[in-house]
Amino acid sequence: METDPRYPRPTLLVVDDEERILSALRRTLRREGYQMVTSESVHEALAILATRPFDLILSDQKMPGMSGLQFLEEAGKRCPGAARMLITGWTEEIPPEKLDELGIRGLITKPWDDARLKEILRQARDSVWPVAAAGG
Amino acid sequence: MKQTERSVRIVVAQPGAKPAGIDVTAALRRLGDGVDLEVVADAQSCIDLCAAGEVDLVVVDYALAVHCERILKELRGDGPPVVVAIRGATDDVALDVFRRGASDCVALTRDDVEALPVVALEQIRRFRAARERVAAERRIRHLEQYNESIIQNMNSALLVVDMAGHITFCNPPAGKILGEDPEALRGRAAWAWFSSDEEEVSLLARTLSTGVSYRGAERIVIRSDGTPVPVGISCSPFFDSAGEKIGAVTIFQDLTEVKQLQSQVLQTEKMASIGQLAAGVAHEINNPMGFIHANLFQMAEYLTDMRQVWGRVDDLLQVVRSGDLESIRAAGDTLSEAMRSVDLDYVISDFGKAIRESQEGSERIRHIVQDLRDFSHHDSSEHVLADVNQCLDSTATIVWPMMKQIVVLEKDYEELQTIACYPMQIKQVFMNLLVNAYQSIEAKVGESGEIGKVWLRTRQRDDGVVIEVGDTGVGIPESHIDRIFDPFFTTKKVGSGTGLGLSTSFSIVKRHGGSLTVDSKEGEGTTFRVFLPVERHDDGEIDGD
Repeated sequence: METDPRYPRPTLLVVDDEERILSALRRTLRREGYQMVTSESVHEALAILATRPFDLILSDQKMPGMSGLQFLEEAGKRCPGAARMLITGWTEEIPPEKLDELGIRGLITKPWDDARLKEILRQARDSVWPVAAAGG
Repeated sequence: MKQTERSVRIVVAQPGAKPAGIDVTAALRRLGDGVDLEVVADAQSCIDLCAAGEVDLVVVDYALAVHCERILKELRGDGPPVVVAIRGATDDVALDVFRRGASDCVALTRDDVEALPVVALEQIRRFRAARERVAAERRIRHLEQYNESIIQNMNSALLVVDMAGHITFCNPPAGKILGEDPEALRGRAAWAWFSSDEEEVSLLARTLSTGVSYRGAERIVIRSDGTPVPVGISCSPFFDSAGEKIGAVTIFQDLTEVKQLQSQVLQTEKMASIGQLAAGVAHEINNPMGFIHANLFQMAEYLTDMRQVWGRVDDLLQVVRSGDLESIRAAGDTLSEAMRSVDLDYVISDFGKAIRESQEGSERIRHIVQDLRDFSHHDSSEHVLADVNQCLDSTATIVWPMMKQIVVLEKDYEELQTIACYPMQIKQVFMNLLVNAYQSIEAKVGESGEIGKVWLRTRQRDDGVVIEVGDTGVGIPESHIDRIFDPFFTTKKVGSGTGLGLSTSFSIVKRHGGSLTVDSKEGEGTTFRVFLPVERHDDGEIDGD
C-alpha cells in the first residue's frame, strides 16, 4: 500500500549483533513503511554504506569489534545525509555531549517502547525525508 | 646448676669454761683449714647463726642444759645435724638426746673426743647428701611441672601413641578436638579418630608403619560425636633412649575457624568478580529481554488482527445459516478483504516465529541466571569428579558478554579425564584468569577499535591436566612478575579489583595439589598455566627414614 513508485519509501539501515533483535525490530516496524536493511556486523554495514546511501541509520551500542558510537561516527562520514540513532540498554553510559558532537539524533532505550521507537524514527524521517525525496 | 664446693662450717655451742683437757674445737680443727669453726655459748646465738648462714653441723655441749635442749628443739627436722657432747655419758642421757633429735652423740672423754672429727664428717656428708637429694628432687619436680604445664597449656593438640596405635598420652586440646576427656583417652586405639582403613590410611598409621614424618598436612579427624573436624597435622615417629621406635607423636590444630575464614575470603573474592561481571551479564540478559518485550507487543497486535478476521468469519457463519447465496458471497468477499488487509498468512507464520524466538530468548535468560547462580554457590565440602573443559567453558560463557566488544576468543580443548576437585573454586580460578586477560587487553586497546585475542587451551598429561589462559594484552612488567600472586598486590585502580584474585587463585590451585604459573612479556601478552594433578599428592610429607 505504501509502494507507490512516485513516492519511494524512506530507507532504514539497522545494525545489531543480535539477530533476534533485528527480527523483533523488523516486526515492530513492519507497517511503518520503511525500506529496511539489517546487518549483524558493523563491518558488513560499513560495506553496505559504501555502496548506497540511507535516510535513517539505527545502531546498537555494544557490538563485537566496534561500539555503536564508533560505527555511527564512521557511518556519518560515509553517508552525511542520514539521520543516525543509537539504541542501547545503557543510555546513561552515553554522554549527551558525545551525541551532539557526533550529530546523533536519537537515543533509544533497549528494551524499547514500541510507540516511542516509532515516534523517534518518524521524527527523524521527517527531518531528512524531504531532502532525500528531492535528491531521489 | 652445680654448687661450687664451699668450706665446711661448724658451730660449737659450749659453756665458756672448757672441761679440763678436753677441747672440742681443737679436735674439730684437725679437720683442716677448710673448716670454719664458730664458738657460741648460748642457744640463741647458735640458732641465729644457723638461720643466717649455711651451717653444716652443730656440736653442742650437753652441759649447756636448757640451751642444749632448745638447740635440739629448734633445729630438729629442718636444721643442720646436731651432735651432742656428753660428759660421763650414760646410755640414758644418749637415748634422751637422740629422742630429742640429736643426730649423734660423743662422750667427752679424752679417747672419745678423738672420734669427734670422724663423727662430724660423717654427719656433714649425710647432711649434704640429703640436701642435694632434696634440691635435685625439687629440680626434677620443677622440670616435670614445667613440661607438663607447656603440654597442658599449649594451644596445639598433642597425642602420643604406642606401636599398636593405643593412646599413651594426650593433652586437653587433643581431648577437646577429639571430643573426649583426655584421661579417658589413655589406652584407647587412636583409629577411632584417625582412620587406619586401607583406603584412607591416616598419617599417624603411616608414620607408625613406615617411620616417615609428616608436617603441616591438612586432614579430617572424626570427633567422637561424628563431627568431622579439619585439622592441620604433623606426625613423627617416637623413639626410646635406645633408639628403638616405640610409637608416634602427633601435633594437630583445629582448622575449623581457619577454614571458615578461608571460605569467607573465597566467597568475598568471588562476589567481587561477579560484581565485575554484572554489567556484561545484564547486557546479555537485556538483549533477549529487548526482543521478547517487542515480540509480546507485536503478538498482541497480531491477535487483534486475527480477531478482526475472526469477526468476519463469524459474520460469514451467520449468513451461511440464512442460506442467502448473495449475502454469503458478500460476506466471503469481506472476509477475503479482511484477510488481505491484515496480511493473515504473514501474521500466522510470523506469530509462530515470534513465539519461537521469544521462547529461545527466555531460555537464554534462564541459562544465564542458572550459570550465575551456579557460580555464586558454595562448593560442597567434598571433592567431586568434574570435567575441567566444562568448568572452563561455562565460565567463559559468563565472562564473554563483558569482553566480546574487544576480544576474539579462541578455544582449543582436548578431551580430559575427570579431576577430583571443588568445581566452583576451579571455576573461580578460570574466572579470575579470564577477567585478568580481558582487563589486560582493555588496557592495551582502549577505545582504539582494535581487537585482542584470548585463547583457552586444555591438554591431557599423564599426571594431570593443563589449562592455559592466554591473552595479547599489555603483559606484566618483569619487576612485577614475582609479586603478582601476593595478596593485595594490584595495579588496577581502586575499586576495580580486590587485589586478591591471583593470590586466591594461586592458593585454590595449590590446595588442589596443582600449580599456577605465568609467562608474560610486557607489551605482548600473558599466559597463565594451571596444572591440576589426577591424584592429589600427600601434602606435607617430609623425608623420613
